[in-house]
Amino acid sequence: MVTNEQENGATTWTVADTKNLTIEGERSSGTLIAKASGRIDGSNAREFQDALETFLEGESSSLVLDLENLSYISSAGLRVILLVSKKLQKSSAQFGVCSLSVSISEVFQISGFDKIIKTHNTRADALSAING
Amino acid sequence: MEPPYKILVVDDEPDLEPLMLQRMRRDIRKGQYEFVFAHDGNEALDCLAAHEDVDMILSDINMPGMDGLTLLEQVPKVDPEIRAVMVSAYGDMKNIRTAMNRGAFDFVTKPIDFEDLRVTIDRTLRHMAEWRDALATRDKLVAIQNELSVAQKIQLSVLPTEFPTSDDYQIDGRMEAAREVGGDFYDVLRLDNGKVGLAIADVSDKGVPAALFMMSTLTLLKGSAIGLGAPGAVLTEVNNLLEEENEAAMFVTLLYAVFNPSNGLLTYSNGGHNPPVIIHPDGGSTLLPATEGIALGVAPDYEYDESSVTLSPGDTLVLYTDGVTEAMNAEGEEFGLDRLCRVLSESPSGSAKDTNSIIFDAVREFAGETPQSDDITCLTFRRSES
Repeated sequence: MVTNEQENGATTWTVADTKNLTIEGERSSGTLIAKASGRIDGSNAREFQDALETFLEGESSSLVLDLENLSYISSAGLRVILLVSKKLQKSSAQFGVCSLSVSISEVFQISGFDKIIKTHNTRADALSAING
Repeated sequence: MEPPYKILVVDDEPDLEPLMLQRMRRDIRKGQYEFVFAHDGNEALDCLAAHEDVDMILSDINMPGMDGLTLLEQVPKVDPEIRAVMVSAYGDMKNIRTAMNRGAFDFVTKPIDFEDLRVTIDRTLRHMAEWRDALATRDKLVAIQNELSVAQKIQLSVLPTEFPTSDDYQIDGRMEAAREVGGDFYDVLRLDNGKVGLAIADVSDKGVPAALFMMSTLTLLKGSAIGLGAPGAVLTEVNNLLEEENEAAMFVTLLYAVFNPSNGLLTYSNGGHNPPVIIHPDGGSTLLPATEGIALGVAPDYEYDESSVTLSPGDTLVLYTDGVTEAMNAEGEEFGLDRLCRVLSESPSGSAKDTNSIIFDAVREFAGETPQSDDITCLTFRRSES
């Protein structure tokens, strides 16, 4: 993880910035939030996976994946989301994705992923669902 | 390449060995260099055979027995990656030229300036390290290419190229593989009572693991389709079998449909795949209504629903993968479902084969020079006019 910057008192990190994809991380009252911007396809799915795994390393926190600025995700990217979800499930941590654009939302609906991954309209919704 | 670097020094002058050890003592003590000595070419070759880890050679040219120029010719036969630096009398341009032409990496002149020698040795070792890195990278690339070609062979070997023919329908399937192997496939199954099964699928991920996952999906599908028949039950069974041993969280979007020629009924179940398009004889198009399925391999015990539509005479059903709708042009726009429907509506009455050609031509024209990033696959089924 590269940068540390202060933004409204919250610490954010740039977890990965590579091949059309940026992942920024931050923490909100014990829950980790990763924001993916750009596109995720076969050419950078590996980096996406590495970034999330690095981000979660040594943590038992729940994770929200914010996809607001994601313009495209291929099946290789969905697979990474599924892997992360399974991993978190094993450690009894919660996982959700939020702020899906219309096209990303369609991908989740067509593939049926909206039935196995919790999706939320906004980051606030996701956080309140996780923190009860 | 890690220090200490082993340097083979070849010279017939007995004084050179103690001198070299003395002048290079700091580098030896720091663990940077290690020296082995030989006194002519023959001894040097024996030495190379005994010490496989020699990194470079520093050799005199004029020696009794085998001289340095002959040695230069022999070294590549032992190890083509070793570099040699030649030592020659100042002004001996003729021999130096010959040595360079025979592949020497560099030369130093006598009397040896040890500071210059150290710079030359370091430059040679740096070059060798880069060269070995490049070779290792090339080997890796070759291995990846081999793996991809294995995956591509698996993929191509399972796709049918001949299709059942009947007065009631025509079928045509086509796939254009991306350079990096994906995991698209289609299949056509002859079932009892003249029914025909149609499948299209897209495996997440690429390479050999994806190709193997695709193989097992296809095998399980064939078995279930013949045993169970009903598309919803088929997907439910295939999903459970795939999910059992799936640590890698791979998945496959799969649509399976059965057409009954006696009444034109198409019964289908959709496991997370793109919705197929039906083109009617008047050029209008409809999407096959969704059946609420999840991609296969990830959700155990999920019950897949099925649904039915009647294909009227002259209707054409187009099953496709996202390689079609997500093909991109230079502006980064996607081909899209709307464009697919528009293209198809312009020639609703072609044969199944014509319809596939129209789709592939349109995608190619749209994408232009933009490289294809995913497999492009279509399975087209046309119910005959009457």
